[in-house]
Amino acid sequence: MKEKVQRFLDSDILEKYLLDETSKDETLQAERYITMYPEVRDTYNQLQDNLETFAKMYARKTPEGLKEIILHSAKKEKAVSRKFFSYGIAASVAILILAGASYFFWNQNQNLQMENTLVTNQIKYLEENMKNQLEDVRNQFIVLNNPATKRYRLNGKKEGKELKAVAYINPVKKLSYINVSNVPELPENKCFQMWAEVNGELVNLGVIKQFEDKDKLLALPYADNAIGYITIEPEGGNTSPTVKNIVANINY
Amino acid sequence: MSTLIERHIVSLLAEKDDKAISLLYDNYGDTLFGVAYKVVKDEDLAQDVLQESFVKIWKKADSYDASKAKLFTWLFRITRNTAIDKLRSINNKADKEVQIDVSDVYNLGVSGIRPEFMDVQENLDKIEDKYRIVLEALFFQGMTQQEASDELEIPLGTIKSRLKIGLRELGKIYGTSMALLLLINLLS
Repeated sequence: MKEKVQRFLDSDILEKYLLDETSKDETLQAERYITMYPEVRDTYNQLQDNLETFAKMYARKTPEGLKEIILHSAKKEKAVSRKFFSYGIAASVAILILAGASYFFWNQNQNLQMENTLVTNQIKYLEENMKNQLEDVRNQFIVLNNPATKRYRLNGKKEGKELKAVAYINPVKKLSYINVSNVPELPENKCFQMWAEVNGELVNLGVIKQFEDKDKLLALPYADNAIGYITIEPEGGNTSPTVKNIVANINY
Repeated sequence: MSTLIERHIVSLLAEKDDKAISLLYDNYGDTLFGVAYKVVKDEDLAQDVLQESFVKIWKKADSYDASKAKLFTWLFRITRNTAIDKLRSINNKADKEVQIDVSDVYNLGVSGIRPEFMDVQENLDKIEDKYRIVLEALFFQGMTQQEASDELEIPLGTIKSRLKIGLRELGKIYGTSMALLLLINLLS
């Protein structure tokens, strides 16, 4: 160990370190030796003292007024750093505000995009709905105005005697509609349900509610020699018609 | 300089207190100006160097690490490097090479020396020229030991040993004069 220290002291690394002329590795080595070995530390301290002594030998009286100039420069430097510091703070605040604003606008943008998608979907849905309704109205118009359209008047039987309905069938255009204009009162747990027998299959056309719009035409699925039924079913409708409860039928 | 003042200056520097610069100037100004002058060999340039050095010292104040170097060593390094850089930039402008003028060693002159430094001036005379030339080349001319060896035409090994011995002799001389001074003070 002593040899290692001696070898280090014999080298000129410590003298170079004193003058700040060491490489990065040498600096680390010098600092390590100074910290670890008291003899190196003593030598280094001695070198520092000697350097001060040597430098003092060349001391030269500073010119008059130089102190004031230097103090002024230092103060100016301080002011510049303070200014820089202030600018730094201002810049940081600005960045924070900018970041906050960016986040706010990004968020807004996301919300607006979401809203936009929603509105677009709604418009699409409305368009689709409107198209269907228009198509329906067009078909109704065709059926009602077409000379080939036959009009069938339906009267209810049994409990549904007061049921009045008119069916419009157009075999040319293959369209059929029904207008239920009067629905008799039924017990609370019963309802009217419409069916159509198309090519031997019974199709559920849904429950007839208390009609708010008595002039509304309901489309019927068209088929040659189809039969339409109106039955009384338990509330909420049934999966298959109850034959004994048929209150009206129509062949078309 | 007492360690107490040194510590005081260091703490002021750490706090970035303006007083630190004033105290540094009062306590080290002449020595650092002498270092700057010794390197650039021009009064006006030395003033510029000292001013730049103090601004650097002020800027780097919070990077000073007392565990790595004494305050003076740190101040010396900054001033010396600033002076050498200044000289190099001037020489580069003039497209000249830095050359050591050995005769400068003898041309120190006494006009700028304050009476309180007379004792150290005497001490300077006590250092043998062969050591002083090497110390000056390394400390003030910014030469590496190899460059000093080439310029002074002295073998590298001799440069190394003269640097070591020169510094050691310096310590001895200074130590002796300090002891004498103390003895005189005690007797009077």
